[in-house]
Amino acid sequence: MRFLRTLLDSQAHLFEKGGRLERLYPLWEAQDTILYTPGEVTRAAPHVRDALDMKRLMMVVVVALSGCIYMALYNTGYQVHLAIAGGAAPLDVWQTDAMRSMGLPFAPENLWACLVHGALYFVPVLAVTFAVGGFWEVLFASVRGHEVNEGFLVTGMLLPLTLPATIPLWQVALGVTFGVVIGKEIFGGTGMNVLNPALTARAFLFFAYPAQMSGDAIWIAAGTSPDGVSGATILAVASESGLAGVTGGLDPWQAFIGLMPGSMGETSALACLAGAFVLVATGIGSWRIMASVLVGTLGTALLLNTVGSVTNPYFEVTPLWHFLLGGWAFGTVYMATDPVSGPSTPTGHYFYGGLIGALVVLIRVVNPAYPEGMMLAILFMNLFAPLIDYLVVQANVRRRRARYAG
Amino acid sequence: MSTSREALIDPLFNNNPIALQVLGICSALAVTTKMDTALVMSAAVIFVLLFSNLFISMLRNQIPTSIRIIVQLVIIASLVIVVDQVLKAYLFEISKQLSVFVGLIITNCIIMGRAEAYAMQNPPGMSMIDGLGNGLGYGVILAGTAVIRELFGSGSLFSVQLLPLVSEGGWYTPNGLMVLSPGAFFIIGFFIWAIRTWKPEQVEQD
Amino acid sequence: MQGSVRYNLGFAAAVCFVCAIVVSTSAVSLADRQDRNATLDKQKNVLVAAGIAAADESLGAEEVARRFEPMTQVIIEVESGDAADGIDPATFDQRAASIDVAQSRPAPDNTARIMRLPHYALVYEIRDAADGLDMVVLPVEGLGLWGTLYGFVALEGDLRTIRGLTFYEHKETPGLGGEVDNPRWKALWTGRLAFDDDLTPVIAVVKGPAGSVDDAPHAVDGLSGATITSRGVTNLLRFWLGPDGFGPYLTRLRAEGGAA
Repeated sequence: MRFLRTLLDSQAHLFEKGGRLERLYPLWEAQDTILYTPGEVTRAAPHVRDALDMKRLMMVVVVALSGCIYMALYNTGYQVHLAIAGGAAPLDVWQTDAMRSMGLPFAPENLWACLVHGALYFVPVLAVTFAVGGFWEVLFASVRGHEVNEGFLVTGMLLPLTLPATIPLWQVALGVTFGVVIGKEIFGGTGMNVLNPALTARAFLFFAYPAQMSGDAIWIAAGTSPDGVSGATILAVASESGLAGVTGGLDPWQAFIGLMPGSMGETSALACLAGAFVLVATGIGSWRIMASVLVGTLGTALLLNTVGSVTNPYFEVTPLWHFLLGGWAFGTVYMATDPVSGPSTPTGHYFYGGLIGALVVLIRVVNPAYPEGMMLAILFMNLFAPLIDYLVVQANVRRRRARYAG
Repeated sequence: MSTSREALIDPLFNNNPIALQVLGICSALAVTTKMDTALVMSAAVIFVLLFSNLFISMLRNQIPTSIRIIVQLVIIASLVIVVDQVLKAYLFEISKQLSVFVGLIITNCIIMGRAEAYAMQNPPGMSMIDGLGNGLGYGVILAGTAVIRELFGSGSLFSVQLLPLVSEGGWYTPNGLMVLSPGAFFIIGFFIWAIRTWKPEQVEQD
Repeated sequence: MQGSVRYNLGFAAAVCFVCAIVVSTSAVSLADRQDRNATLDKQKNVLVAAGIAAADESLGAEEVARRFEPMTQVIIEVESGDAADGIDPATFDQRAASIDVAQSRPAPDNTARIMRLPHYALVYEIRDAADGLDMVVLPVEGLGLWGTLYGFVALEGDLRTIRGLTFYEHKETPGLGGEVDNPRWKALWTGRLAFDDDLTPVIAVVKGPAGSVDDAPHAVDGLSGATITSRGVTNLLRFWLGPDGFGPYLTRLRAEGGAA
């Protein structure tokens, strides 16, 4: 280890001011601080003493995501194998050839085969996200002379988990470009962004390439089943045929564990719950936001259950299913709690979360075009986060003024 | 007093009606999915600007101050109706695609803005040049936006297929965002970013 | 003098007078051309549905007129299916009629979400030399996802087989529902049977691929990712080909022995 430190130090002069590779300083700084604790400490008087710097914080998020990543590997493979076992033809892609050449069976009960098959889809998407996103991050850091920020590592982990397995890699590259450049760098980089970059990237893909991001043919990386078993997400089924359609093909436990078609890492509420514990216990994710999204969804879904609708069977879907299906759990735990794009006042967290919860149900149920509404609800509330903060602060100012005015 | 050269060239990049003054955005979002609609729309706006500036400048000493806005509006509205009628008669396909946006030139702030800010104070010749310059400034942004939107959104330019589409057996997957109005917002945003990087004096002070 | 009320009124009147003359001259002098354009446009849409012209084909006025030559425009009374006299097909505007209370009635409850039905409709017939029916083109409309789809469906002389279908106006999502414009999808319709043996309209846009005409005579491939648009197309076709739409008219044609 000592050797590594010496090596880094001996190269430092190249990147410091006046060095030959001065422009690449952000890159050098990034790998140095990933390997070692930064050498600089805060010197000026008022500063927060905390063992958590950005890097450690981001590492915790990655740990919290590990359940979802595992499910992204397992469930992606499992769904393919399930479809093939049901009679669907394997896709004519390199992943299928790779599985064959490794001699692995397309068997849903074979854990190892499912994991490997899932990884063949997930890992390339992840690699493209990091490569392309990292390129933009370093480019902007070099041109603008700031340090490469670790916030990107989280964006890079989150985005692939929200994509379908069959997404073309060039679209991933375009999406992450849009998310990093438009979602973040234009506003000045991590910490300055108005929108959650991972969701911005996903929204871009959703609107730019709807055929690869929605519908019923993309969620399972296998051909359509001859027996007409649909590859639609359960939310799409809910929007078609209501509660009966949902409970017909799925029991709540299966949905909770996440064994259903959907975005690669979003299907498992269980994995998200585990992640929520990590985030709340370490104080990184706001439990206020998570709890109020829950309450908002619960209230709105119950309201719509009571109101009912003759023409729209989606109204009858119960709150429990809203929690279990689609990106609800993933969005609540990892996306809504993003400290940059959400409000910073604790009171604001309640309003923000509650409105996300309400909006998600409204978009899912009332809008005929989008069976899933988590992404749009969070992005929409991202825009309102500064306003919520402003109102909370103003209310506080007014209260104090009233208290001392008399 | 600006020279005629300045009046013509300035609105292109230094004082672009869309990129700097952020006027006329509504139609810029609506008609730029295709090159031909964008160009016809630009031509219509240039025509209206030229003649509204000319007539208003000719009458500038006669127009009573108290009713000047309504007089300007009447002149502009008449010109717009004439343009709309001509398009319906001679360029029916395009006029169908432009739908209400030709009529909405009446409310395009660039035209009222130039009438009030320039033609009311300057002689007819200069006013026409100013109108032409501003119209071209509008047209440059529209054409630029439309090139990107049509090429990436439909794989074509002037309805000639350049990138063969996947749905018709080719290789290009069109970008749906480009066909939607928000796509134009992003592109115009990029133009503003590019122009301000090139001419930093346009950046507003905080 | 300038600034006085009299001057202002006089000035305003003069400006209005000049502008009114300019506007009315242009409107009147161009009216003929505009009407001709509108007619040509409509005729071209009919030709596209009938498979006599391609949607992206640029046709001159003479060419459209030549290809439109065999078409007979017939105004029918929708409810009875009988030909209606006294209405000039050239000036009849069915879309305007469907929203005019005097020229329409509330539609019976339907899945195509059509609110009002016009009393009269303009249809197009092509007859062969022996006056046998060769083709009929019917206007159709109905709700998709974001708005109403307007189009034409062409039926063969047997009044069961679809010759073609086209939508000339819609607001569906580009890439998903917007694929109703896709020539490859539209080509799938040719040869499908709109009706079953009991003459009930059963044509449907199914989920996923439907197969060849022989395998699935009553079904057409679904538009991927556009469930609601696909369902809208099914519903609107079934409505217009059914008893509340052009059913009576088609029944009359069949009775006349049009089914050659």
